Amino acid sequence: MPYRIFFESIAVSRRILIELARMRRSLVFWVIFPTLMLLLFGTMYAGGKHPGTSFDHTAPGILVGAALFFSCLGGTVSTIAAERERRTLRRLLLSPLSPASYFLGIVVAYLVIALAQTVIVYGIALGFGGHFQGNWLLGLAIIGLCVFSYVGLGFFFGARFARRTEDVNGPVASFGVPLLVLGGTFFPVALLPENLLMLAQADPVFHMNQALKGVWAEGKTLVEVLPNLMFLAGFAVLALWLGIRSYRAMLSQEKSA
Amino acid sequence: MNILEIRGVNKSFDGKLVLDGLSFSVAPGEIYGLLGPNGSGKTTTINILCSLLAADSGTTRVMGTDSGDERKRLIGFAPQEISIYRDLTCAENLDFFSRLYGLSSQQRRERVSELIEAFHLGEYANTCVGNLSGGWQRRINIAVAQVHAPRLLILDEPTAGLDIEARHELWQLIQRLHQSGIGILLTTHHLEEAELLCSRIGIVRNGHIAREGTLAELRDSIPAQQLAMVEAGDEEAVSARAREHGWEVRRYGGKPTLWLPRIFSLAELVEVFAGISVTSMALKPVGLEHIYLEVTGAGYTV
Ligand SMILES: Nc1ncnc2c1ncn2[C@@H]1O[C@H](COP(=O)(O)OP(=O)(O)O)[C@@H](O)[C@H]1O
Ligand SMILES: [Mg+2]
Repeated sequence: MPYRIFFESIAVSRRILIELARMRRSLVFWVIFPTLMLLLFGTMYAGGKHPGTSFDHTAPGILVGAALFFSCLGGTVSTIAAERERRTLRRLLLSPLSPASYFLGIVVAYLVIALAQTVIVYGIALGFGGHFQGNWLLGLAIIGLCVFSYVGLGFFFGARFARRTEDVNGPVASFGVPLLVLGGTFFPVALLPENLLMLAQADPVFHMNQALKGVWAEGKTLVEVLPNLMFLAGFAVLALWLGIRSYRAMLSQEKSA
Repeated sequence: MNILEIRGVNKSFDGKLVLDGLSFSVAPGEIYGLLGPNGSGKTTTINILCSLLAADSGTTRVMGTDSGDERKRLIGFAPQEISIYRDLTCAENLDFFSRLYGLSSQQRRERVSELIEAFHLGEYANTCVGNLSGGWQRRINIAVAQVHAPRLLILDEPTAGLDIEARHELWQLIQRLHQSGIGILLTTHHLEEAELLCSRIGIVRNGHIAREGTLAELRDSIPAQQLAMVEAGDEEAVSARAREHGWEVRRYGGKPTLWLPRIFSLAELVEVFAGISVTSMALKPVGLEHIYLEVTGAGYTV
């Protein structure tokens, strides 16, 4: 049984990656957008004086907000919406593919994408004089939690609301992008006034940024980022739970459609 | 053992009865045609067979199994809508679905090339499905249903929306599949298709099989061996003369058509209508169309 789930989820993620590689449009967006944002904000904060430290501190936010948000959340939503729109979901229901494998397959596909984006963003940051410090494993674990949160939410929005891809891009952007800004993706949270800072505590993106910045830019240890990590882990569990629930509801709805 | 057994299936949607005691069976090596107008519950029947829907009552058995994973492996279903990945090539679609059925990489390679061969897909094996014409998409849609070598292949309106050429090609393909010995359940509202492909036909009416049999048996089920179309200035005189001989008269689309109880020659017919100024006369075999209209009680006036 575990072997079967493994085999099936690899089949699903492989398929999604082939499709993405072939469509290119989203891949280009997922590479170009974070690259340009990183160059722009990195150079802006450097002010020509400290390009190195500036790129250290810009990279985590760009990765979490400009890269993973659009790939792992937006991508999951479109993957699911396309699966319904093109009726392939029904076909999957006819096969012995277990729902768990399908869910896992999507998570794995976007983990791969996330890893590639991490390499690109940090490659560029290092190329512009940024330094990489801290525990890389801990950083990867934080990125993993970000991916789980985003993919879980992607399932929630995709399964619950997206009959077509266009249905959901608007709402996700209109609530998502403000959360990105509030979470310190593009501007340091030091700029936030007291009341907004309080509000930011409830924003998962804030904790993603704080944790990753803490570990990879400031060399913080597990204990130092533990509060952010705890919040993030809790949120990831919540997002996955919501995702799985909506996904189940979608499956039974799809059966009778 | 029958490949498929359906007994007394009932299903209603929002209080509207769609299937009302539907029963039929499919034997090995048979193409069973479920024939009925749009909305008569054909797709609903299939959805129940594939466990996508639950019947309100009744039983469905595939090779004796009730439900579950085992049954999924016995059925191959090609839905009416093209439901494969447009951004994958034909070969990639086949490979992906064979992975879901747990085929090893060796088995997958073999199966994919077998299917590409059987469906004459060679030329397009590495073309993305989205770039193919409707007819080729249908083909690959059916091929995907066969990756796991099912015992029962279900084709829901396999040629709906195709042009004549693509339809004929697909008919040939289905006949070839049939020769491989699997059972096929095919739904259609296309009479010519059922007539050409099916070894047995069930006509669905009011949620159950109103009449069933081989084409020959269905022909025998109405008291006509042959049909005659007789055009004359005075149609009433023609009908009256036919009734004198005890023949049924039907009007399919307005023109009187006579049911002849045996095979007549044109000369005999001319004799029967002596004295009436007939402008044209033609003899025609009884077709599925006429049986179908008789069963559904629609499409003709007496
Ligand atoms: N999920 C559903 N909910 C409500 N009504 C349905 C549903 N599926 C089918 N129906 C109704 O059941 C009837 C039979 O539909 P269907 O099985 O698709 O017919 P066919 O395939 O013979 O054209 C139609 O009147 C259709 O509107
Ligand atoms: Mg139908």
